Amino acid sequence: MKSASELTDFYYTELYDSLQELEQKRNAVRKKVLTLFGILGALSLLIIGFIYNSCHCFNESFIWVGVGATAIGGFGFRWLISGYRSGFKEKIIRPLIEAIEKELHYAPDAAIPQSLFQFSHLFEQRIDRFRGNDLVRGTLDGVSLQFSDIHAEHRSRDSKGREHWSTIFQGLFIVADFNKHFKGRTLILPDLAENLFGSFIGGMLQSRNFTKDQLVKMDDPAFEKAFVVYGTDQIEARYILTHTMMQRLLKLKKDTGSKVYVSFNGEKIMIAVDYDKDLFEPTVFQSLLSIDQAMGYIRTLRSSIGIVEELKLNEKLWSKV
Amino acid sequence: MTALIILAVVIVIIVLMYNSLVAKKNQVDNIFAGIDAVLKKRYNLIPNLVSSVQQYMQHERGILEKVTELRSQAMKPGISDEQKIALDKQITSALGSIMVAVESYPDLKANTNIMHLQRTLSEVEAQISAARRAYNQAVTDYNNAIEMIPTNILANMMNYRRKQVFEITEDERKNVDVGALFKQ
Repeated sequence: MKSASELTDFYYTELYDSLQELEQKRNAVRKKVLTLFGILGALSLLIIGFIYNSCHCFNESFIWVGVGATAIGGFGFRWLISGYRSGFKEKIIRPLIEAIEKELHYAPDAAIPQSLFQFSHLFEQRIDRFRGNDLVRGTLDGVSLQFSDIHAEHRSRDSKGREHWSTIFQGLFIVADFNKHFKGRTLILPDLAENLFGSFIGGMLQSRNFTKDQLVKMDDPAFEKAFVVYGTDQIEARYILTHTMMQRLLKLKKDTGSKVYVSFNGEKIMIAVDYDKDLFEPTVFQSLLSIDQAMGYIRTLRSSIGIVEELKLNEKLWSKV
Repeated sequence: MTALIILAVVIVIIVLMYNSLVAKKNQVDNIFAGIDAVLKKRYNLIPNLVSSVQQYMQHERGILEKVTELRSQAMKPGISDEQKIALDKQITSALGSIMVAVESYPDLKANTNIMHLQRTLSEVEAQISAARRAYNQAVTDYNNAIEMIPTNILANMMNYRRKQVFEITEDERKNVDVGALFKQ
């Protein structure tokens, strides 16, 4: 795989013409977006002023004006940037992925299916809205790999019957072949209980979590501090999580700087990295030529694709040879 | 009334402690059964390994005889868990010596049968290592429960005794680099 510096060179040399063209588009889009926001802001103030003049009071309608302006703003923003956004994905993200690995295919509007996301059993809440984009799939070093952005949400109603949407997971979801045979399911989740309540009470809460499989205590203190493991089979969980694999997962957590969830199910490894934002989206208010932007795209792509290398999923040492 | 409530609470606590101790003991037995299964897999590989290498390894006849003898001891019915643990340690060391000796015979090392055996053995070793780690965790939980206050009082009455853990050497903690092994 190409190094980050080779990819940065590629970004600024091979993609230079496309970047120039897109940068002009971005400037035009930015002006339109600022104009739209300006008009919407002025209109909202006018309406609020008009309402206040008529009743000399503050009431709920002010909130509705705000909500309406935000909704129109959001919709308008998406409509204004749609051409620029698709151009960016085709002319920048696609060539970058191909430069990293030719065997990988990119579909900007597709995502990992909901069924596969649920098959991981990482997030057991009912999913009421599931969206995603930027699907990358293919083979890397003989390992089948796919990943995409995912946003899964849950709907609830309060006592007044008002609808609320809460995010179950937003971030990168990666599915790859695993190099060992296993029959059961092993889940590795961020250790929230022990971090919140300490190892004694947290450990007790984890072992009495009846919604999960058996608690599997691991013999690596650093790993045990960062993660909690649940599995259908105590021996199989340790067969998968060797000391080396635990170190690699800890490194992955450190490198991403985010919450990492890992599931081993159906002979696959599924990794969810909680980024809490849509990845691979073009910047509107910052130059595409800025090094920070370029490095951001390159780092995310490299680390997603590099999972195979990082976790040594390509080393089919045992029975899968 | 208060006395009754206190009595009920005490009974509930005793029942919970009793159930927790039984669950921990059963967990140890259950995982030991898992170890037994993978150890048997390894015992089944030993005759194949010995027959494949014995014509080459004239100088290592002693190790081959030892591993065969240890296998027959381990296969005997009715041996205790402690004896199984002790035999496993000796077999691991003897098999390690055979694998090191294989390296000195280029023809043997390149033999497809041996390569396959080595790979299968490595797979079984990884499973045994996982089973040992699971067993050690279960034994640690069990030993803690029978030694810590207040469960130790009940454990003593139930005649529960400490159990022995598998000792894992530092070498075994490392992943076997089979890639490098085959390149040698």
